[in-house]
Amino acid sequence: MKLVLGLVIGMAFGAILQLGGASSYKKIMGSLLLKDLDVIKLILMSIAVGTVGIYALDLVDMANMSIKPTYVVGITIAGLIFGVGFAVAGYCPGTCIVAAAEGKTDAVVTILGGLAGALVYALVYPAFKGLIEITNYGEVTFASAFGVNGIWVAIPFSAILFLLMFKVLKDRY
Amino acid sequence: MQDQPVLSWKVAGLLLGLLLITATALVKPLGVSTQYVVTDAIVLHRAAPNAAESNEYLNKYGQRDDWGVGYGWMLVFGMFVGGGLSAFFTKKFRQRENPSLPSMWREEFGSSSPRRMIHAFAGGALLLFGARLAGGCTSGHMISGISQLTIGSFIFGISIFASGIVTARLLYKRRLAS
Repeated sequence: MKLVLGLVIGMAFGAILQLGGASSYKKIMGSLLLKDLDVIKLILMSIAVGTVGIYALDLVDMANMSIKPTYVVGITIAGLIFGVGFAVAGYCPGTCIVAAAEGKTDAVVTILGGLAGALVYALVYPAFKGLIEITNYGEVTFASAFGVNGIWVAIPFSAILFLLMFKVLKDRY
Repeated sequence: MQDQPVLSWKVAGLLLGLLLITATALVKPLGVSTQYVVTDAIVLHRAAPNAAESNEYLNKYGQRDDWGVGYGWMLVFGMFVGGGLSAFFTKKFRQRENPSLPSMWREEFGSSSPRRMIHAFAGGALLLFGARLAGGCTSGHMISGISQLTIGSFIFGISIFASGIVTARLLYKRRLAS
């Protein structure tokens, strides 16, 4: 049952990314070159909607949250590495799956590169564990850090994102 | 323009947000990059069970679904199916003459297919190395993590765009200059 649910949620996820243009090399590079911000705005919109929805669910104890630990140094280095890969491949780990389904062979190669990169990480994991342990603040959120219910952070945060999307970031440059 | 997506960023972003809420209510937030490890673990376990089980990292993910596919893997497989179906029905399928070379790439780097493949592979390897070190990717850390207000996810989001923007500018120097 869980497997079928995964398949259905995944199908919706893939279709939304495809229909929204997030699996397009041109759209992704357009965002990174700050020429066409549609993909960035798509992500901001999903967060603006998602954050309020998740913390509304949390109010009635229905959110199955999964908070990742915040290890500042390791995550910063990881993000810098990921960003280079993002621009060089022109896809991310999810959008290359969708782009591969569209028949783009470069995206298939990105998946293969990803499998190799994940395997390399598994092999060198013992050496990198230290990066996960230093400056690790655990499962901390802007709600837990301020000691307030998440909904009181989610609502103003979402409002800021809407302002960003509709007032600050222009459609075309 | 035929190059434009079917859905605007507003509609696609709204739907993605609603999907994230649904997934969080039913199972857990969305995530992709773990499944690359799971796939490695499954394949290596078939080929060399001892090697897979003695690797601490692969063992952690392999054992969880008894070295088989679970919910998360089916989700990523579903992305392939759903993305393929929507591309097919909106006639975006096989639209380009050379599907391995994005036109934007060709304008900057010429029509060398092997060069694009090297970039695609190296980029993919960096993506997953970074994602595994961070504990998530664009979906798990950025979209799901920031939506849950996780502080580390904000840090991840800022650092991927910082280095992504710099790298993109270095790659597309000629285009930016003209």
